[in-house]
Amino acid sequence: MCELVINAKSAIDKISTYDYDCILLDLMLPDGNGFEILKELKRQNKTEGVIIISAKETLETRIEGLQLGADDYLTKPFHLSELLVRIQALIRRKNFKGNNVVAHNEIEINTLSKTVKVKGSKIDITKKEIDLLLYLIGNENRVLSKSAIAEHLSGDMADMLDNHDFVYAHIKNLKNKLKDAGCSDYIKTVYGLGYKWQNE
Amino acid sequence: MNKKLLHKTSTVYLLFSVMLLIVSAPLFYYITERLYIEETDETLILHKNEFLKYSLPTLTTAEIQNWNKYNRNIKIERFNNSGKDTIFYKSYYDALDAETEPYRELNASILIDGNPYTYSARINLVETEDLMKSIAILFLVIISLLLVGLFAITKRLSINLWKPFNETLNQIEKFEIDKSDQPKFIETNIEEFNRLNKSIEKLIKKNTSIYHSQREFIENAAHELQTPLAVFQAKIDTLIQSSDFTQEQYKLLISLNDSVSRLNRLNKNLLLLSKMEYDIYNEKQTINLNEAIEKHFDFFTEQAKAKNLIIKTEMKEAVAIKSNPVLAEILISNLFLNAIRHNVNDGQVLVTLSNHSLTFSNTGQSQTLVANKLFNRFSKFNPSEQGNGLGLAIIKKIADLNNWKISYSFANNLHSFSLAF
Repeated sequence: MCELVINAKSAIDKISTYDYDCILLDLMLPDGNGFEILKELKRQNKTEGVIIISAKETLETRIEGLQLGADDYLTKPFHLSELLVRIQALIRRKNFKGNNVVAHNEIEINTLSKTVKVKGSKIDITKKEIDLLLYLIGNENRVLSKSAIAEHLSGDMADMLDNHDFVYAHIKNLKNKLKDAGCSDYIKTVYGLGYKWQNE
Repeated sequence: MNKKLLHKTSTVYLLFSVMLLIVSAPLFYYITERLYIEETDETLILHKNEFLKYSLPTLTTAEIQNWNKYNRNIKIERFNNSGKDTIFYKSYYDALDAETEPYRELNASILIDGNPYTYSARINLVETEDLMKSIAILFLVIISLLLVGLFAITKRLSINLWKPFNETLNQIEKFEIDKSDQPKFIETNIEEFNRLNKSIEKLIKKNTSIYHSQREFIENAAHELQTPLAVFQAKIDTLIQSSDFTQEQYKLLISLNDSVSRLNRLNKNLLLLSKMEYDIYNEKQTINLNEAIEKHFDFFTEQAKAKNLIIKTEMKEAVAIKSNPVLAEILISNLFLNAIRHNVNDGQVLVTLSNHSLTFSNTGQSQTLVANKLFNRFSKFNPSEQGNGLGLAIIKKIADLNNWKISYSFANNLHSFSLAF
C-alpha cells in the first residue's frame, strides 16, 4: 500500500498514526522543511526507513539528512529503477537486520558477504558485478536504459559521464559468468535502449 | 610601447630644453664675444683719444724711447701705415707665460715734432677668453638647474595632480564583478576626476545588477528545471517498459531517452558553475592529490576500456594542495574524462603530477585546438562530440577559484592540459 501527502503537516499526522516500511521524503515542502519530519520520527522513536528525494545536492544537506536518521539520499532527477532498488535495499536491511540473502531462482546473492551462488556453488564475481546483478534483479522484467545503469554503477561520478559504453562491458562479463555457472540467460538486450532482466 | 603620461610630457619638455640649449649656447657665446670686442675697441679708441689730448701735445721725439720703455701696451713706432686708424687682431709672444697670446690692436698715425709716427695700442684678450668661458659655464649651470628644477616640480605636481586618477585606476583594477565588494572612489576637487569616478561608479552599479540578475536567472532556471526533469525522466522510464512499440516509436524513444539524460547532465553542470560563482565551495582543506587521483582510478580505467586506452601515471609522492575537496574531485574527474573522451582508439592518457603542476596529456586529433576559445562555455571544437561543452569551462572556473593556472598545449601528437599551482 502506498500513500501520498503533499505537505509536512499531513505527513506528521500520517506517521503518528501508521507504521510504514519506507518513507520517501522531499525536503522542500510547501509548509516547512522535510527535516522537521525526520526530527518528528526520531522524537516518536519510529524506525521507518526514510529515503530523501531532493533537488538539493550539497554535501552539507546530504550529511544533515543522514545524521537526522534518513537511510538514503537521492538527488533529483533520478531514474525510477534507481529508486526501486534503493527502496528494495532499504526494506531488505530493515527486515533482515543486515543479514540478508537475495534469492532469485537458481541465484543467491549475499549482500553482506558480497558473494553469489548459482545452483549452490559460489562463482567468482566482482563487487561491481554484484551491484549490477542486484540492480537488474531488483528491476526484474523492466527495461533499464544504459544511462540508468551507468548512473547506478558510477554513483557520484555519473553527472560527468556522457559515454555509457562501459555498461556494455559489465553486462557482457556478468552474462558470461552466469552462463559459465550454468545459469539461464535472463539478461536480454533491448536494442538501442538498454537491458532487461527477463524472468520467464 | 606603453609609457606613463608623465613620461610623455616630460619628454616633450626635455626635448624643447635641450634644443633651446644647443641653439642658444653658441649664439650666446657669439653675442657676448661681439659685445666684448666692441667694448675693447671702444676702450682702445678712448685710450687713443686720451693720448691725443693729454700726452701728444707735450711729447717730443727724444721722449719716444722712454715712453716705449715704460708703456707696455701703448707704443709709438716708426711710421708704417697708410695714415688711417686700423683695429685688428694680433698675436704676441708672452715671455712671462711662454705662449702666444691674442691681442686687439689699434694703429693710428700721429705727428711728433712734425715727424709721422705710428701710435700702436693693444689690449690682451686672454682675460676675455677666460671671462667668456666663465660666462658660458655659468649659463650652462643656470640652464641645467632650471631644467632639473622644472623637471622635479612637474613630476611632483603631476604625481599630486594625478593621484586621484591613479587611485581610481587601482580600484578598477581590483574590481571583480563576481565579488561583493564594490570600489569606493575618493572625492577630489578636480572636476574631471569626479566626473570620471561618477561615471565609473554608475557603470559598475549597472553591470553588477545586470550580472546579478543574470546569475540569479541561471541559478533559478537550473534549479527549477530539476523537478520537471525528474518527472520527464520518470515518465520515459515508465514508457519504455511497455513493449508494444512500432520501430518508429522505438527510435523516437531512444532519442528522447538520450536527450533527457544529456539535459540532466547539462543542467547539473550549469548549476555547478553558478554555484561556484556564488562562492558556495569556499571552504578549503589540504588535499593529497595522489589520493584524489587514485580514488577514482578504477572508474577511469573502466571508462578508458571502451577505447582500449592505456593510462600511464607519473606521480610524485604526497603532493598536497589547498582546495575545496568537492571541487578538486570535480576538477580531476573532468580532466580525466576529457582526456578519455577526446581520445582515439588504442590511444593513451598520461597523468603527470609534480610538486607544482598536474598535467593530463592524451592522444587525439592530430591538430592543435584553438586555445583562446577552448575554456569558454559551449565552445566545442568538434560539434559532433558528445560532451556538453561545459567540462573545460568548469575546469577553468575551479582553477580560477583556487588561483591556479590552466594551460593547453599540443606537442608530439599529445594534447596537454596543465594545471600550475
